[in-house]
Amino acid sequence: MASFARSSLLRQTLAPRPFLQKNVGVSQVVAFHASAKKQILPPLPQSVEGTPKPPASIHSLQSAERAAFGECFGSNCDAAIPYVLDINNATVNDPAPIPETHPSEGSYHWTFERAVCVGLVPLTIAPFAAGSLHPVMDAILCSLIVAHSHIGFQAAIVDYFPPKRVPKFRSLCNWLLRAFTLTTAVGLYEFETNDVGVTEALRRIWTA
Amino acid sequence: MFSQKVAQQSLRRLAVQQPFAMQSSLMRASPAAVALGQNIQTRQVTSSPNTEDPTQILVKQRLQRPIAPHLTIYKPQIGWIGSSLHRISGVALSGTLYLWATAYLVSPTFGWHLESATMAASMGAMPVLAKVLLKSTLALPFTYHCMNGIRHLMWDLGRGLTNPVIIKTGWTVVGLSIASAVGLALL
Amino acid sequence: MASLRTTSRLFAASRPMFRPAFARTYATVEPTPTEQPKMKTFKVYRWNPDQPSEKPQMQSYDLDLNKTGPMMLDALIRIKNELDPTLTFRRSCREGICGSCAMNIDGVNTLACLCRIPTDTKSESRIYPLPHTYVVKDLVPDLTHFYKQYKSIKPYLQRDTPTEDGLEFRQSPEDRKKLDGLYECILCACCSTSCPSYWWNSEEYLGPAILLQSFRWLADSRDEKTAERKAALDNSMSVYRCHTILNCTRTCPKGLNPGRAIAEVKKMLAV
Repeated sequence: MASFARSSLLRQTLAPRPFLQKNVGVSQVVAFHASAKKQILPPLPQSVEGTPKPPASIHSLQSAERAAFGECFGSNCDAAIPYVLDINNATVNDPAPIPETHPSEGSYHWTFERAVCVGLVPLTIAPFAAGSLHPVMDAILCSLIVAHSHIGFQAAIVDYFPPKRVPKFRSLCNWLLRAFTLTTAVGLYEFETNDVGVTEALRRIWTA
Repeated sequence: MFSQKVAQQSLRRLAVQQPFAMQSSLMRASPAAVALGQNIQTRQVTSSPNTEDPTQILVKQRLQRPIAPHLTIYKPQIGWIGSSLHRISGVALSGTLYLWATAYLVSPTFGWHLESATMAASMGAMPVLAKVLLKSTLALPFTYHCMNGIRHLMWDLGRGLTNPVIIKTGWTVVGLSIASAVGLALL
Repeated sequence: MASLRTTSRLFAASRPMFRPAFARTYATVEPTPTEQPKMKTFKVYRWNPDQPSEKPQMQSYDLDLNKTGPMMLDALIRIKNELDPTLTFRRSCREGICGSCAMNIDGVNTLACLCRIPTDTKSESRIYPLPHTYVVKDLVPDLTHFYKQYKSIKPYLQRDTPTEDGLEFRQSPEDRKKLDGLYECILCACCSTSCPSYWWNSEEYLGPAILLQSFRWLADSRDEKTAERKAALDNSMSVYRCHTILNCTRTCPKGLNPGRAIAEVKKMLAV
């Protein structure tokens, strides 16, 4: 009963519709607010892996490859455009590529990061209880904070600056981060050795 | 049922309005017409063949697609707002540390005084209101980041990962961090 | 084929060709005559691929809630039927099992068929496509990459050794219980598109829905490729872009917990 179902649609189109005229008025249509402004972390135009390449590359394929793509339509063989077309000979129906296994960026990295966080918990509470820390504990706290900060900044860079969109800016950020982590670590070492230590200094400044 | 009705009606209308057309159209399909070769259909309007590569239509359309709005329209909820505050507070704290430590490293070259004694002295010279303001702006990100960090550690153990608990602990962390920041600022 | 019957053919000529436009559809309910009309404004995201240079717009429609069914999908269907046939959206089962009508309603991702229309007529309802997806038209997002990612985790039982008796692979009730809260996922993409991490890195980060499915196969006692599955996830992008924001758990229209599943995946990878 497809014709029955369709009849209601036709009826909608042909019958007078006061609501339609009321709603499609220009004043009712408001330009979408966010699209007028600058986009937040703008993505690249959509491209799906496995979508066909421009025709030029299709025609340059070997005839054997072309034949492998299936039947030709009519007499014009060039008109037969294969669906299977990508660098990896993939179609849109193929799975998304899986990144290489890399535990030092994956599970080891995560476990290390969590361990640093767990270690920071008592070291953060202790100065409040004891006033300040022993220089050795102070040094451990400082190195954990530097490690934690470095990993945190790194996560932010990986999140917000994907290499596909901003490859140069991303590597710039990464190098800046490495440089700053180094200067911070050395600066803290200097402070620890020449001054009173971070927790003690903070206590003095805070209660000044 | 409906399409049949329409066909019926249009045929009827055709017979009334243009009897000749009706006749010719019927004649064309008759065996006699077939025999005479008159049954070849003709098109009044020629349609030009579309030479465009059909696989490229979708590719082109994809390039023009907009992105659906996201951050600006998503409902503010304690979960993701709290999480973004966690990152913002972390970046602010670590950024301050990085800038200060780097400045301390290069301070001898530029003649800056960033030793604990000078900083404590300059802090002591400030009026009380400025002191409290400065302390609370430093303490709030610190307390929030620490307490929310505990929450994250709980989640990584697989605890407290239900909607009511997430919401409750989220607001608890906000309240506790503000209270403790005020407490620290008044020290 | 009622028109073939003689009786109906007799009546056919006298019957009007088109019935009035206010015929009752499934999304429309008969109004009770005494009630005042409860007009509510629905603002819907519109974008037409045939006019790609035009910016996406918000178009408003007014519906009388007394004449509309209780759910957001009813409102959308009624808009399409009675106000604007050009409005485009996906829908199928109208009972929350197909996942077609996933969209962002009043700022939260949900299934339109499971989302009640707020009865507060003063505030307008805003309907957007799933956040940060490429829009095909109006409320229809392109989920090609989402499905490609689903395929990449090999969402099927992988096993080489046959059972001793050559019959089906059996599970203990306890092992079967581990799959509860995982197998019910309908892949509507509500959670994935609510995740800010997935917004910024949908190319490589798998997102909550796919990771929940990953865990569903990691947790399956019958599957023998657990090590391979874990190796495929062990990189900086696939899992570890998750920062436990937990929008996924908050938004899931089926009441599942993708956030917990990801936490379990991380735990499995860590040891």
